[in-house]
Amino acid sequence: MLELKNIYKTFNEGTVNESKLFSDFNLKVEKNDFVSIVGNNGSGKTSLINIICGSLDIDKGQIIVKGEDITKKKDFLRYQNIGRVYQDPSMGTCTEMTVLENMALADNKGKSYNLGRGTRKNRISYYKESLSKLNLGLENKLNIKEGELSGGQRQGMALLMATMTPIEFLILDEHTAALDPKTADIVMELTCKVVREKNITTIMVTHNIKYALEYGNRIIMLNQGRIALDRTNEEKEDLTVDKVFSIY
Amino acid sequence: MDILIGILEQGLIYSIMALGIYITYKVLNFPDLTVDGSFPLGAAITASLMTNTDSALISSITLGHNPYIICIYALISGGIAGLITGIIHVKFKVRDLISGIITMTGLYSINLRIAGSANVPIFNMDTIFSNNFVYNLFPKALLKYNVLIIGFAITFGIKLILDIYLRTKSGYLLRAVGTNSVLVTTLAKDSGNVKILGIVIANSLVALGGSIMMQQQGFFEITMGTGAMVLGLASVIIGTNLFKKINFVKATTAVIFGSMIYKASMSVAMDISFTKASDMRLVTSILFLIILIAGQVKNKKVKIFVRVKEYLQDI
Amino acid sequence: MVLWIVVGGAIDRNKREEIKMKKIFGLILLLAVGLFTGCTKDTEAAKGLAEKKQYTIGITQFGEHASLDNCREGLIGGLEEEGFVEGENLTIIYENAQFDTGTSNQIAQNFVSKKVDMIAAIATPVAQSAFNAAKDTDIPVIFTAITDPRAAMLTEGNVTGTSDKLPVEAQLKLIRAMLPKAKKIGILYTTSEVNSLSTLEEYKSLAEHYNFEIIDMGISAAADIPLAMDRILPQVDAMTNLIDNTVVGSLPVVVSKANEKNIPVFGSEIEQVKLNCVASEGIEYVELGKQTGRMAAQILRGEKTADEIPYEVVEGSSLYINSNVMDNLGLSLPLEYMDRAIDVVEN
Repeated sequence: MLELKNIYKTFNEGTVNESKLFSDFNLKVEKNDFVSIVGNNGSGKTSLINIICGSLDIDKGQIIVKGEDITKKKDFLRYQNIGRVYQDPSMGTCTEMTVLENMALADNKGKSYNLGRGTRKNRISYYKESLSKLNLGLENKLNIKEGELSGGQRQGMALLMATMTPIEFLILDEHTAALDPKTADIVMELTCKVVREKNITTIMVTHNIKYALEYGNRIIMLNQGRIALDRTNEEKEDLTVDKVFSIY
Repeated sequence: MDILIGILEQGLIYSIMALGIYITYKVLNFPDLTVDGSFPLGAAITASLMTNTDSALISSITLGHNPYIICIYALISGGIAGLITGIIHVKFKVRDLISGIITMTGLYSINLRIAGSANVPIFNMDTIFSNNFVYNLFPKALLKYNVLIIGFAITFGIKLILDIYLRTKSGYLLRAVGTNSVLVTTLAKDSGNVKILGIVIANSLVALGGSIMMQQQGFFEITMGTGAMVLGLASVIIGTNLFKKINFVKATTAVIFGSMIYKASMSVAMDISFTKASDMRLVTSILFLIILIAGQVKNKKVKIFVRVKEYLQDI
Repeated sequence: MVLWIVVGGAIDRNKREEIKMKKIFGLILLLAVGLFTGCTKDTEAAKGLAEKKQYTIGITQFGEHASLDNCREGLIGGLEEEGFVEGENLTIIYENAQFDTGTSNQIAQNFVSKKVDMIAAIATPVAQSAFNAAKDTDIPVIFTAITDPRAAMLTEGNVTGTSDKLPVEAQLKLIRAMLPKAKKIGILYTTSEVNSLSTLEEYKSLAEHYNFEIIDMGISAAADIPLAMDRILPQVDAMTNLIDNTVVGSLPVVVSKANEKNIPVFGSEIEQVKLNCVASEGIEYVELGKQTGRMAAQILRGEKTADEIPYEVVEGSSLYINSNVMDNLGLSLPLEYMDRAIDVVEN
């Protein structure tokens, strides 16, 4: 599904601040994988995500999605097949628009944003239904501005909006990091539910080892641009939080 | 009564420009100084197309100097100005304020060339307010209100079109890119292009406002753009602040009111007898402050004020 | 607009919004009341100017500027000489547009709605605004300090006034008399001032008769002047001024830079010679204003209407010299000039 081949990335090349991050980095993600990527700060987790999504350029290497080489593709074009939820709840939604308008906005992904009606009346019941599945009470707040909702509600919506239209894989960029523990748990459960229902290949970057172990079928630990740990399925189940920490 | 009509006329016409500034400043979160150049650009194009009676080409493309067609050309010229600013900002990655300044500065010279002179009067020519069509359409009694009626029709027409546009899918994207351009990218759309579209639409409106203003005042003056951004911004902010808590007044309507309040304040400032003519700007700014503060008074203070009033009435 | 507010007040969502609505309604009402009270200071309806005893004139001036102020002073003085005295039988409402066309329009509309007996406009944009606002009424417009009323389209209709067309030929003669060997004259002007453009054209067409070449440089703002002066001074033997608002407003800068290079600057008006221009065959703006005042009086008395009076140009010019500057630069004038010259230094 996703393959990163021979990735080289150096920051500030040729200056005093030069730092080599990725050196011949390789990674393969299979269809329906739910990969958690952990690692301390500076290990390259976020850079990896940005490389996949196209907001960070690479020096050498290839990014291949379903056989297509997208290394040269512009970032916004890559998102046609990728959904992303950010750490900051304000980044996944439009805070100045209402819940309903946000749903309509996301619903139109992949189609033309022309002069047609922004919110189609015949889709409103579908939006209500999808929102009610989140169990966050949003189905009754259709005309409330997104910015007036809580962080957890916004992240729930961001998740929904990212997965509303068909995507190849979903990127979760520390999406529970800015939430309180209880809300984080709720959102994590939601994530699991949505991923399972829609069968989406998922890459989740997180600091939370517990989540990484509890959810998904694969765990990868990055350390200074290298893969320090890569366990799938049964091997993964053997791991405990302590074991992982010791490798940290 | 005549003063009120005069204020309404001026307020309505300037609000067309204010609506354009609303799009860039409030919707796109992009402070756009192109406005100081695109406002007179619309007027310059209008002056040029109206006064060039010798050119056969111009006569044909304006369908015989038809002022309504000329307005459309003014609109397009503003769009081109906005396009230039947008490209400078998005493609060449120049900061928002500077991109506007670059275009505005260049437009000063371009406007002079287009108009042909720093001052071009059009007193006896057909405008959207006075032409044969209008004279035949309006009954005698209404004729002296022609500017008010036509101005009202055009302004509210533009407002309605804008309102409808902001509810389309393209309009949604525009609103999104101002608050959260990352979201637009995540929706697989080029946020730069969306921004450029917004700047184009805004400056088209501003240039149209310039054209209409020039047709109402009867002449083109190269300095008519100076301070246009300030005037428009004041209208937008006063309007949106005053009507912030009142949900049934749309932002676009608030902007129109803001423009009228601005013009009314200036008129009041002019008439205050104990100040000199040169103090007018000071008085205007004090009035703005009062209006803005009055709009911000929180609920608690209002309740206290109401209670004090009731108490005094009981005495 | 009032209807809108009433409708708005009727739909009260909740108490908070209603109070807010009332506050805004009150504010707008206050503004409206303020305007109406301004209105009621109207003059009587103009049944015939000649029959009235009290007159109101609205004076609109384009900006704060010495020459324009002089015009206004002269205008009021001229009216006084003709028997229209402020405070006795004349009320003057004076507004200044602060160089802003939007304000210029509002002032004009303000005057028209107050039904003044006459609008006096000082400089082109305010005159055009006044003419436009008054054209469907009986209010006559009288202008001054407009260099080319024809180009401004202010020659037909209920409008007349005086033109401050500069005596360019007399100035060229003066420069030739003071500087027999000079070849190039520099002129600094502002591209946005239409008066400057037309006078510049006249200079260019007449210069060669006096064996001069005009070197001109356009600026767009006062901030451009120092650099422009640095560039133009090496190329010229003398400078001469138009009645350009921006350049004249920064005259001290112009004169001091020119003095450093011993280049004489010829002014266009007495105030400039006082500010150390060497000499000027200029217009006296107070006189111009007085002339305008006399025309205004004719119209107020009902002797003639504005469209019957063609606009007037000042004939002849006054020669002002600054003997200090002349001495410093080692310049002199032939006797026939000195006889009629007025030295500003003595005054």
